[in-house]
Amino acid sequence: MQTTQIITAFITDQYLPGTSPADLDADYDLLATGVVDSLGLVRLIDWLQGEFGLDIDDRDLTPEAFRSVSAIRNFVEGR
Amino acid sequence: MNSGQVTPEFVRAFWRHARRRPAAPALLHDGTTVSYGELARLAQACLTGPPGAGLAAETGPKSPGTIARILAFLTQGRPVLLPPAGTSGTALAELCQRGASPPDGTCFVLTTSGSTGTPKLVPLPGSRVARFVSWAARQFAIGPRSVVLNYAPLNFDLCLLDVWATLARGGSVVLVDPGRAVWPGYLGDLLASTCPTIVQGVPLLYQVLAERALSFGSADHVILTGDHAPAALRQRLPGLFPAARCYNIYGCTETNDSFLHEFDPAQAGRLPALPIGQPLPGVRVRIGDDGELVVATPFQAPGYLGDDPAMRFDGDWFRTGDLVSRERSGLVYLTGRNDFQVKVRGTRVNLEQVEQVLAGADAVLEAAAVAHDGRIHLAVRGRPGTALTPLAVRSLCTERLSLAMIPSSIAVVSAPLPRTVTGKVDRKRILRDIAGTPAGTGHP
Repeated sequence: MQTTQIITAFITDQYLPGTSPADLDADYDLLATGVVDSLGLVRLIDWLQGEFGLDIDDRDLTPEAFRSVSAIRNFVEGR
Repeated sequence: MNSGQVTPEFVRAFWRHARRRPAAPALLHDGTTVSYGELARLAQACLTGPPGAGLAAETGPKSPGTIARILAFLTQGRPVLLPPAGTSGTALAELCQRGASPPDGTCFVLTTSGSTGTPKLVPLPGSRVARFVSWAARQFAIGPRSVVLNYAPLNFDLCLLDVWATLARGGSVVLVDPGRAVWPGYLGDLLASTCPTIVQGVPLLYQVLAERALSFGSADHVILTGDHAPAALRQRLPGLFPAARCYNIYGCTETNDSFLHEFDPAQAGRLPALPIGQPLPGVRVRIGDDGELVVATPFQAPGYLGDDPAMRFDGDWFRTGDLVSRERSGLVYLTGRNDFQVKVRGTRVNLEQVEQVLAGADAVLEAAAVAHDGRIHLAVRGRPGTALTPLAVRSLCTERLSLAMIPSSIAVVSAPLPRTVTGKVDRKRILRDIAGTPAGTGHP
C-alpha cells in the first residue's frame, strides 16, 4: 500500500468508524473538525513511529504537521 | 493613558509594573521572554481605535501579540469577547451581535455552554475581576517573583488567575501552546525550563505530566480545577511536585472560583474523591432540596447577555446545576449534575445544545448526544432519501459548534432513536447500543 492509503486506513479505522477510506479526502482538515483531538494526536504520533520506524520527538513538532492525510504523508516522507 | 477612568484596575496595575520595572519578564512564550516594557510597547501600538468603541472580539492565538491587543482594548475601556476555539463565520457574528451591549464596566465577555443551541454570554464586570485578582494574589502569594503556568486557552475563566492576576501583580506568565498542550515532551521541557512557582490546570495537565517520571521542585502552589481528578492521578502529585501545597478549586464561568480545598498530596491518593472544600471568603452558599449547589460570589457576572432567559440567576444567587453533598465536617463534595452538562477536557458542554444544533439541519431527522469517559458520542438519523454520512455530519458540527463540542464519534442510523416512555431520547440505551460501543471508536 502507498503511504497515503496506509495513513487514510488508520485514520478512518481509529477515528472515523463507519467511514470508508475512499470517502476521506486527503486534504480533509482533521484538526478543525475534531476528528483527531489533542489526545488523538498523541496516539497518532505513537502509531507513526511504529508503522514507519520514525523517531519522533514531540518537542520539535507543531500540530500543523498532522492537519490532513496529505500533511501527514509529507511529514512521513520528509523524515 | 488618558482613558484612566474606564480602564479596569487590574490593567492599570499592569501599566504601573511596566513603568516601574520595564525589564521584568511578563510572558514566557515559545522559548522567548517578553518583558513588561516590551509588552507595554506592543499594547501601546494597538491603542489605535477611539476609546470606548464598544465590544471587541478577540480570536487570536495564545501569543504576546494577542495578550497585548486585549490589554489595549481593556485600556480603552472596551469589553473584550473571548469566544471558544473554533468559533468563526456566522457563529462568531451571532455572538458579537448578541454581546454588542454589555453592561457598563464590563471587561470580559466569556461564553459558556447553553441548552438552546448557542453559547450563553457571560459579562464580567471589571470591578469584580479586580476583587478576584485581590483574592487570588493573596491566596497564592502572586507577586513579581511568581512564575505562573497558563495551561488553559485564553477564553477560559482560569486565565483570570494565571494570566490577568499575574500581570496585575508583576509576575511572569508561562504560555502553554493549546495545540501542544497534551504532548508530554513539549510540556515536560516547558516546565523544566521555565520553573513555574504556581501551576493551575484541569486534571489532563497532570495526566500528561505524569506520563514521564519528572519532578518539578519549583512549584510552590499546585491547583487542580475544572473536573474530578482520579485517585490514580492524585497519587502522582507528590512525585511531580515535591515542594508544593496542593489545592482543589471549584468554580464556574458565571461565578468564578467559589470553593477551595487544600489537601495533603501524600494522603490524597487514598481518598475516593477530593472534596471541593469550603467556600472562599465572601462566598455565600445554599444547597437546594435536590442537592443543587447555589452560590453567590463577590466575583460573579450580573446575569447572561442578550435575550437568554436568565433561569440560573435569581437575584444574587446562581444555580450551578452541580449536585453536592455536605459532610458533617462542613466539607462539600460534588456528586453529579441535574442537567445534561458534561465536562470535555475541562470545558462545559451541554449535550442538549449539541443535539439542537444538529436537529436544525435539513438532512437530520433526529440526533442524540451522549457522554462517556469525557467524550461525546453522537447518534444521528437522517431524513429518508438523504445520504447522510458521518463525515457530512461532522462538517455540520464544525460549522455550528465550537471544537470542544464536536463529538468524538458519530454514528448514522436508519432506525428511530430509542426513546423513554415519556418520549425523551433514551441516552442510556443509545450509549449502550449505538454510540458507546468501544470497538471502533478508537478511544481505549
